[in-house]
Amino acid sequence: MAEFAVIGKPVPRVDAVDKVTGAARYAADVNLPGQLWAGFVHSPHPHARIKRIDTSKAECIPGVVKILTQDALGAGATQETIDTVHGMRLSQSLFAVEVVRYQGEKIAAVCAISPEICKDAVEAIEVEYERLPAVDEVEQAIRPEAPVIREDAKEVEAPTGCPWANLGMFRNVCQEAHFSAGDVEAGFAEADVIVEGIYRIPRVHQTYIEPHACVARVDPSGKVTVWTSTQSIFAIRSGVASSLGIPQSNINVVGQTIGGGFGGKFGVLVHPYAVLLAQVTGRPVKIVYSREEEMLDGRPAPGAVIWVKTGIKRDGTVTARQAVGLWDCGHVPGASIYATGRIVGVYNFKNIKYDAYGIYTNKPGTSAYRAPGAPQGSYASEANLNQCAAAIGMDPIALRLQNMAQDGDQRVIDRKPLSRVAFKETLLAAAKQAGWFEREKKPNHGWGVAIGEWHHGAGPGSAVVTLMDDGTLKVFSGAMDITGTDTGMGQIAAEVVGVPWENVRVIRGDTDSAPYATGSGGSVVLFSMGNAVKRAAENLREKMLALAAQHLETTVDSLEAVRAADESGRVIPRVQRRGQPEESVTLQELAQIALRTTGGPLVGTGTFASEPSHPLISAQIVEVEVDPETGVMEIKRLVGALDVGRAINPYEVEGQMQGGATQGLSWGWMEEMQFGQGRMLNTHLSDYRIPTIQDLPAIESVYLEVPSEHGPFGVKGIGEPPIVPTPAALHLAIHDATGAWVNDLPATPERIWRALHRNRDEGKG
Amino acid sequence: MKRLINLRINGVTYPVEVEPRERLLDVVRYKLDITGPKEGCGTGDCGACTMLIDGKPVTSCLMLAVSTAGREITTVEGLARPGELNDLQRAFVELTAVQCGVCIPGFLVNATALLRENPNPTEEEIRAWLQGNLCRCTGYTKIVDAVMEAARRINARPSPETA
Repeated sequence: MAEFAVIGKPVPRVDAVDKVTGAARYAADVNLPGQLWAGFVHSPHPHARIKRIDTSKAECIPGVVKILTQDALGAGATQETIDTVHGMRLSQSLFAVEVVRYQGEKIAAVCAISPEICKDAVEAIEVEYERLPAVDEVEQAIRPEAPVIREDAKEVEAPTGCPWANLGMFRNVCQEAHFSAGDVEAGFAEADVIVEGIYRIPRVHQTYIEPHACVARVDPSGKVTVWTSTQSIFAIRSGVASSLGIPQSNINVVGQTIGGGFGGKFGVLVHPYAVLLAQVTGRPVKIVYSREEEMLDGRPAPGAVIWVKTGIKRDGTVTARQAVGLWDCGHVPGASIYATGRIVGVYNFKNIKYDAYGIYTNKPGTSAYRAPGAPQGSYASEANLNQCAAAIGMDPIALRLQNMAQDGDQRVIDRKPLSRVAFKETLLAAAKQAGWFEREKKPNHGWGVAIGEWHHGAGPGSAVVTLMDDGTLKVFSGAMDITGTDTGMGQIAAEVVGVPWENVRVIRGDTDSAPYATGSGGSVVLFSMGNAVKRAAENLREKMLALAAQHLETTVDSLEAVRAADESGRVIPRVQRRGQPEESVTLQELAQIALRTTGGPLVGTGTFASEPSHPLISAQIVEVEVDPETGVMEIKRLVGALDVGRAINPYEVEGQMQGGATQGLSWGWMEEMQFGQGRMLNTHLSDYRIPTIQDLPAIESVYLEVPSEHGPFGVKGIGEPPIVPTPAALHLAIHDATGAWVNDLPATPERIWRALHRNRDEGKG
Repeated sequence: MKRLINLRINGVTYPVEVEPRERLLDVVRYKLDITGPKEGCGTGDCGACTMLIDGKPVTSCLMLAVSTAGREITTVEGLARPGELNDLQRAFVELTAVQCGVCIPGFLVNATALLRENPNPTEEEIRAWLQGNLCRCTGYTKIVDAVMEAARRINARPSPETA
């Protein structure tokens, strides 16, 4: 392996000092002189007709500046929101028109001189509703008696063979995806054992600790500035522009430090309202969502109900797999329903068929959450596979190793050959770290294992790298940093140009100043922006060496870069004639010399759009202890392994692995947006539980480096995969500890207890 | 309705006009522009708004500003002198216990109180003390490591200072 000076070193995050001192400015920390506060009237009902909206009392409250309703905008006026970063388009009015379709839908916006007065005014607005029947479960929404939630809902024929086939038709369908390879019926006929189950995965919220926030200002010239928390400043720019009909070039979006996104902070949510209110009031307008508003009117991850059927031979050969997925879209399409296809996984399964449906319910629309669709799809697939292993009495790791694809194998989905994959090696690394094959069976203890694959994409981006006249390197881009990518980009630039880490500054621009950058999601940033930065740094290096050759009166080929430290231990990077230290020039000198040349400052630019990537897996092993009397579970160990391609920064890699595994564990164990008759029942962090520091053990992470062909220095995209396998690993661990399969997530003490008692009542316990 | 109170924050006394219903967190963040403490929930569940009041950690989203007049309030901005980091802050930086960072001011303020009370905590004691601070990014492993490392450094000094 090549020796690197900066890459692979655990340098601290470039933003860490600001974050530990309170100096980092998040969106809600932006306060402009004269700013107004805006808030919303949200529907308390999941489905209702709006009879009357009376704002007269609210208008009389001193300090209230403006109230907006759909009527004030022009009844029926719809806005089309276009997110050019993701190529997404959504036609929706700013406020509910005549009918509300989920609890939390916006009815009116209020703007006042203080947050307290704003709340008073929101409470003083009277809305009269006529309630309509609502439906919040997909298995109810597809039934013939379910209310039709939108006029454009389709009624489609139910696939045969699945548990819902007897319905004949599925109602409230808004999306469909189908796939078939080989012959599943023939495959099932060949099997020794058929294992099938229904796996229910709840809707969960990304639960970033920082709720959505933004401040908008509109200058008299019409120039709009938005300060906000987002994963993509360019997506906010296009979203605001399209939804309000403002030319994109009139909008500047400033990305503040982001307090977590996990996929939930891509497109516009509160931003058009702040801009619209700033336009009509002529003053800066600030909106900060509360936690309850996040829960009721955020864009969480879709829940899903997935039926999986697998045919398997006693020797571990999987003969066929079939799945039907019902995905809970809420009131608009947009769920990653194709993830039902994860029954293929990274295995050489030949006979595959799936049918996936997005179903309307009376809930908010959904959006991405770390590896969108993958935790749901992979949970159903991997949990079912573990049940197959149990059914034929085979070790679940051995079953996976026997069926896993490797380099040269063709993928079932697209028939493309695999390269630079390390599925088996990653699974074995987790097994080794955990001591899987040496584990001892203890009473009420259980072990589980699962894998989750991710095939990251790429996105267009550009970067500028400048060697400044003080010898520091400035890396400039428009990418939002959610996982430490600014630090990684800085390390890549430092490595290429040859400056010590201390001399690197990473600067993020706004949409006016920065070159275009893709959104920060999909595990694409270090792969894509890292490539842009690497190309910019190489471009700079080329110019720098040409200047050095000119200065030292030699050729570029006869130069070498030197990073030797001086007597005081300081690294002063320089370029010299090979083997002749007396003929050298420092990088700082070169930067200064450049200012006096005809060519000018040493600036490198780099752009990137796409190159092929390789699928990778996260493999996890979890050990639990379950109290059979109460169903209470303790997580004793959580071990994860991941093929990262190249760890630019090992601490950041571990952080992604530990954080992702915790979110996966949480989805399997405690998280669930609970609904009753369309109303959400747990809208606060006291009853919507995420793990505390006391719920978890120290998480062990081991990573492999099988370099990507096109990633900068071999980088693969790794932010998402660690969330994927955890729920299925937990499912097996609970079975190993108790003998019960708890297919419905999350595996709460109540569900575990009920499953245990069901087993006992049936004489299996 | 409005009352003039003196809020003493990080060693400075601020005269400020507040309504009785205004929360300490809002007054500090929006009237004094001390924005280190964050609001993650508004119900005392996430701990991002934690401040020390007379040395005790409290969730400031549940405190009325009027009830804290004259008391000694510390936010993350007051943990170290400007331009410096205390041991906890340095350990959080060096061990990359910080990801998005929005929960970190609360963790640092609460961990400061822990180390004053118990300068040599076990991992279990750290986890028990910090259970009111939620983090969604890290899985907590590196946060525990950083608090233990800070305690080690403080204890390794010949004449221990308070964190």
